[in-house]
Amino acid sequence: MKGRIALVLIAAALMVFAGYAALYVAPDEKTMHAIQRIFYFHVPSAICSFVAFFIVFVANFAYLGTRQPKWDWLGVAGAEVGVVCSTIVLITGPIWAHPVWGIWWTWDARLTSTFVMWLLYTAYLLLRGFLDDPQRKAMFSAVFGIFAFLDVPLVYFSNRLWRTQHPQPVILGGSNSGLDPVMGKVLLISFVAVLCITAVLITDRYRLERLRSEFDELRFRAESRDAERASKIPHAAREARVE
Amino acid sequence: MKNFESLFAAWMVVWAVFFLYEVTVARRLSKLQDDIDQLKRQLREG
Amino acid sequence: MTTSRAAAILLAKELRLEFRTRELLTTTVIFALVVVVLFSFAFEPTAAESRRYGPGLLWIAFLFAGSLMLNPSFAREQSNETLDALRMAPIAPFAILLGKMLANCVFLAVAEAILVPVFAVLYNVSFSGVAWRLILVLVLGTLGLVITGTVFSAISAHARMRELLLPLLLLPILTPLLIASVEATASLLAEQPELDRTWVAFLAGFDIVFLTASWLMCDFLLEE
Repeated sequence: MKGRIALVLIAAALMVFAGYAALYVAPDEKTMHAIQRIFYFHVPSAICSFVAFFIVFVANFAYLGTRQPKWDWLGVAGAEVGVVCSTIVLITGPIWAHPVWGIWWTWDARLTSTFVMWLLYTAYLLLRGFLDDPQRKAMFSAVFGIFAFLDVPLVYFSNRLWRTQHPQPVILGGSNSGLDPVMGKVLLISFVAVLCITAVLITDRYRLERLRSEFDELRFRAESRDAERASKIPHAAREARVE
Repeated sequence: MKNFESLFAAWMVVWAVFFLYEVTVARRLSKLQDDIDQLKRQLREG
Repeated sequence: MTTSRAAAILLAKELRLEFRTRELLTTTVIFALVVVVLFSFAFEPTAAESRRYGPGLLWIAFLFAGSLMLNPSFAREQSNETLDALRMAPIAPFAILLGKMLANCVFLAVAEAILVPVFAVLYNVSFSGVAWRLILVLVLGTLGLVITGTVFSAISAHARMRELLLPLLLLPILTPLLIASVEATASLLAEQPELDRTWVAFLAGFDIVFLTASWLMCDFLLEE
């Protein structure tokens, strides 16, 4: 309990510090000026979404191997948080692009892949919603999760191959070529901050699943105990009549 | 700062999304914890 | 009994079942036809435009028709619980999956065999001289669709809203396949038709990756 509060506070503090650094410490970018600073949260969110989805992949494998519910809990936690991070990427990206390039969106490899990845893991979460039996839900979403993760590099490469055949304006690219060292440090701080937030979110969501499972178990025990009692009463009444 | 409004909007989005998600999870967590405690009491007493 | 022999027997069963009524096949073909016609209202099908947009529209028609056609594949087994009977038979679980994949492939292939000439006529696109290469692309693309689609139909058969769920699961996964198939087909319709080897290799790779994944996970798919 205390550990969790400490983690939350550290994450919040880091976010505030990173925010300050991104606004005031980082040097101004030549062409884009202020708007470029979105990069300090846009890029870490993207990386964290990959981390989250990788966790889902590992959890899916582990579930199929061991059938322990905790891996299913980790899977859904990672998927939800990954979708949250991807949502941030997909919203901050266009906010960045519009003042700089005058367009909200372009179908380049990176953006398209992010969007498809968002769709894939949203489908994962929806699939779970439509499966009622908890064992089936865990198993089938694990299978789909593995398929989805295998698909992500295929999505990226097919889009890359396609877009290089039909050249598009290079958007959101080259941000790492020749990065100013101060910018690099601010990026690192922001990355650690977002990673902490992601860790907190995944831990909490995992705990939510674990508690849900505990609750279902307790409720089952309570209901079966009530059912037992209810069935005993007619017995006693019958015996009384016979006597 | 040039383009400050867009930067601010993006900032708000980042904070809002993370914060709202955490709040929804935390709220469900505490409600579940209460329900669990209540059930445990029921089982003990009954 | 070896897996391939079991799969062949199951394939024969599926084909026999379907050709008795042919309802799945007819509905699939008509639906794909409807999509093809609808697209004619979306753009002016001049020769140049047809060559440009045609492959895309053709493959989208196949994707939509395929997603709708794949559901009955496993759903049909549920009314008489025939899947349990299959599971108890002394055959590898992968044979069941493979038999269904092959059957779905045949059905979709029949639909495509009807649709491609119809499309060529309606949009004034000529496939002469590239027929065999086109068949290769169609086969590879259809295989990818059918492999992933059959796996997901096994999953969605147990879910609510399965008619909506299957396309929802399938179409995002198939975006690389769509790109590769469309580009490969488009390369065959170009001024100098030439089969784009990169995309064909990509399609083959896609099929291999997901067939292997299906094979590795088939036990989990067909469990009780």
